[in-house]
Amino acid sequence: MLQLDNIAVRFGGLNVLTDVNFAMETGEVVGLVGPNGAGKTTLFNVISGLVRPVSGRVVFDGRDMLRAPLYQRARAGLGRTFQIPQPMHELTVRENLRVAQRFGRGRVDEARIDEILDFLKLRPKAQADAASGLALSELKALEVGKALATEPKLLLLDEVLAGLETHGKRLFMQTLLALRERFGIGILIIEHDIETISNLCQRVCVLDFGKVIADGTPQAVFEDPQVIKSYTGGAAHA
Amino acid sequence: MKPIAPVAVLAAAYLLVPLLLGGNAYLMTLLVSALIIAGIALAWALLGNLGGMVSFGHAAFFGVGAYTSALLSMQAGLPVLLAIPLGGLGAALAAVAVLPALRLSGPYFALAILAYAHIFRILATELKSLTGGSAGILGIPGLPTLGGLELGSRNGQYLLVLTVVLAFIALYRAIWRSDYGLALRAMHDSEDATRVVGVNSTLLKAAMLFVSAFMTGTIGALNAHVINFLDPDYAFSGAWTIVPIAAAIFGGYRTLGGPLLGAIAVYLLDQLLFKALFPSGHQIILGVLLGAMILLSPNGLLPWISRRLQRRPATEVRHAAA
Repeated sequence: MLQLDNIAVRFGGLNVLTDVNFAMETGEVVGLVGPNGAGKTTLFNVISGLVRPVSGRVVFDGRDMLRAPLYQRARAGLGRTFQIPQPMHELTVRENLRVAQRFGRGRVDEARIDEILDFLKLRPKAQADAASGLALSELKALEVGKALATEPKLLLLDEVLAGLETHGKRLFMQTLLALRERFGIGILIIEHDIETISNLCQRVCVLDFGKVIADGTPQAVFEDPQVIKSYTGGAAHA
Repeated sequence: MKPIAPVAVLAAAYLLVPLLLGGNAYLMTLLVSALIIAGIALAWALLGNLGGMVSFGHAAFFGVGAYTSALLSMQAGLPVLLAIPLGGLGAALAAVAVLPALRLSGPYFALAILAYAHIFRILATELKSLTGGSAGILGIPGLPTLGGLELGSRNGQYLLVLTVVLAFIALYRAIWRSDYGLALRAMHDSEDATRVVGVNSTLLKAAMLFVSAFMTGTIGALNAHVINFLDPDYAFSGAWTIVPIAAAIFGGYRTLGGPLLGAIAVYLLDQLLFKALFPSGHQIILGVLLGAMILLSPNGLLPWISRRLQRRPATEVRHAAA
């Protein structure tokens, strides 16, 4: 489904990603973790097309995507959310989903929009102004909703749970679990909360200083001495 | 009352104005000029509102449309009514040269398009064999007679330009309300967010540039056949950029009717009142007026009027209830 070969990204003299190799199967749910500044969001930007790597290959669904602009990747089935929600301003919640559906999927299906609104519990806010009328949890839900409306095959979720209080987190977590069950979409999720990752994902990939340092089941990865070392700042644990 | 208002305005524009003012050639000429300004103002506002681009180069599209139509009707012998939309297409073609500037945003785009506008003025001056150089073109054919209606008469010119401007408003409205309009409005503040859901933002912006250039070129072509004369300094004058911008902002550039209302108000006030009071330098008053409008209502005259209209019935209801 998704294959990244030898991805390297440099910002000025800084190596943000070095030789990242990563692959995902259709419908797989994978967690992407790592300390702050490890390059997780940059990797998302490489996959979705906001950042062009200096070297490497991005293959999605059998197509070489390295030179494809953002809108083509979205139409090919790559959906993503932003860590800081980016609702489409001047539009209502429903119109946000409509634009995503019309351009990302190719045609408008009102029933499907209703389904997504219900699924994300956004129905009461359908006519609300997306930029000013929503609480943080609703903005995060709208991020997921916009991506879902494009009918993605793979969903990139960038810290959709961060900033939510415990109850909101739990609710949203259930939504994400249902997402996997109900839509059968592959998910790559960036998340700091190890419990969330362990509950949601069959597989975890750990990024540190722009390199993949571990890749495996949550249990194996979180017991890996190298991973523990990177999380505790190289202190005595190991 | 709301649905009646547009019908009343249309009836007044199409029937009352020609019947009451038709005899006054000077006033009708002013109205035609005001409508020409309105057409450019509308095209400029469309590019700003839907494309998110501030243009200081609309004089280029106006001039290219004017020259294209004049030359096609005189040298290729095309009927005037066919040459005019082709003038619009010519301006849209000229907009292809502006496409690289779409990579720029904000003030950088504004400056780039200002420079582009100058290129076309130089071309019109230097391509002497085609355009007659700085001496210009004389004797451009006027508007024809269509089905008994003399479009070349003062009333005919007024009705034709009015119809074209209203048709452009209808086109603007159709784009605004379409899914493309939705995506274009979304792109304003959140371009990345629209691109990651599959919107080809560059293509949509380019399309708005072409539509805006086509409208402006068509208006320039109409104007050429109304005044029957062109030279580079006139056709590419910065006034064709500045006055419409002032009119659009005065009337309310974020509304559909604002540019039209603003153009008529600004142009008629300037020509009938300020020019009489201050024969030289009367444009300064326009600047003061624009400043005052921005202080009174930053969104322009039309939003201010509709706010007033909405407020009154509300207070009446409250009085009746008490």
